[in-house]
Amino acid sequence: MKNQIVQTACGFGLLVGLASICGCGTPMNSVERAQPAGQREMVDDKRVLTDASLDVRARIVGVNQAVTAGGLLKVQVELFNKSRYQKRFNYLWEWFDQAGMQVTTPATDVLIPVVIEGKESRFISGVAPNPRCNDFRLKLIRGK
Amino acid sequence: MKRLPIMNRIKKQMKKLLIYSSLAAVIPTLFSGCATRGRVITTGGNESIVSVDQVNIQDYMQAAETMINSLLESDALDRVPNPPALMAISRVENRTGVQVETDLLTKKIRIALNKSGKVITRMNFGVGADGKPLTEDPAGKVIDDLGQFGSDAKTTRLPDFTLSGKIIQTRARAGNTHQSTFSFQLSLARGNNAVWEDEKEITKQGSRSAVGF
Repeated sequence: MKNQIVQTACGFGLLVGLASICGCGTPMNSVERAQPAGQREMVDDKRVLTDASLDVRARIVGVNQAVTAGGLLKVQVELFNKSRYQKRFNYLWEWFDQAGMQVTTPATDVLIPVVIEGKESRFISGVAPNPRCNDFRLKLIRGK
Repeated sequence: MKRLPIMNRIKKQMKKLLIYSSLAAVIPTLFSGCATRGRVITTGGNESIVSVDQVNIQDYMQAAETMINSLLESDALDRVPNPPALMAISRVENRTGVQVETDLLTKKIRIALNKSGKVITRMNFGVGADGKPLTEDPAGKVIDDLGQFGSDAKTTRLPDFTLSGKIIQTRARAGNTHQSTFSFQLSLARGNNAVWEDEKEITKQGSRSAVGF
C-alpha cells in the first residue's frame, strides 16, 4: 500500500517536472474566411532541416511572395507550432542580387525573436533591401 | 627509535603538501571551466545580454529592421517629383529613464534607405538632441555654402521628408519581476503632414539581466 502511494507520488512528480520543462500549455484556436479573397503567389522552396526539434516548434507551412508598390520583393513565410506548448525561436533574412551575391544592410542579418503559442500558425515577412534583390533565404534558429 | 615518529611526521607533512598543491592546481582549472572568458560574439545574436531596464544593441537592431521594412514596403518614399527622395533627420526624443543613443536607430535606417537607392539623406540640416543646429559634416557644409555663394541659383533643394520620433519606456513590476516596454515610434513627414508612421514595441521581463534570447 505504502509502495503504491510512493509510486503514484513519484509518477505525479515526474509528470509535473516534464510539464515544467516543456513550458506552458497554451494551444490556440483561430477562425478565418473559408474561401480567402486574396490569392497567394506561392514559391517553390528548398528546405534544409538540421534541427528536428525546431521543425516541431516552427514547421514551415508555405512561402509566398509579392512585389511592393516601390518594386521591392516581399516574401512571407507561414510557420506552425506543432506542439501544444508556447515555444521560442529566432529568424533572420538573407537577400541576394541577380548575380547571387549577398546584399547586406542594417535591416538584414538581424536576429528577430518570436514567441509562438501552442498550435499557432504565424506569418513572418521580409522586404528586399533594394529592387535588384530577387532571391532570399530565411534562417530559423531555436530560441534560448 | 626516536627517529621514526619524526620520519612519520615528515611523511605526513609531505603528503599534506602534495594534496594541497594538487588541489591548488585542480581547483582553479575546475572553476575556469565555469567562468566565461572574453570572446567575440555576433552583434545582436542570440548570445547577447538581455537587460530588462536598458535598450540593448539587439533592440536597436530589431526596431530598425521593422522600421526599414515598413518604410520600404510603403510607397511613401516613391511619391516625390524628383527621385530619389531627399530626407532630413529631425529629432528622436528619448522618453526613457535610461541614456539612449538615437543614432544607433536612425543611422541604421539611413544606411538601409540609402542602399535601397530610394533616399538620399540631407546632412547638416535639422536640430540635434541638444537643440542646436545639427552639423554632422562641417567640411561638407562649407563646400555646400561656397557652392551656393558662387552660383546664381539662390535656392537649394529642400528635403522632401523629415524623419522624427520618440523612444518611450513603460515600466511595471510584480514582486521581484521587472518589466520594461520600449516603444520605438517614428514618423516620416512632408512639412507638418505625416506620410508614414510606425511603431515597434519590445517588452522585456525578468528579475535580472540574462545572456541569450
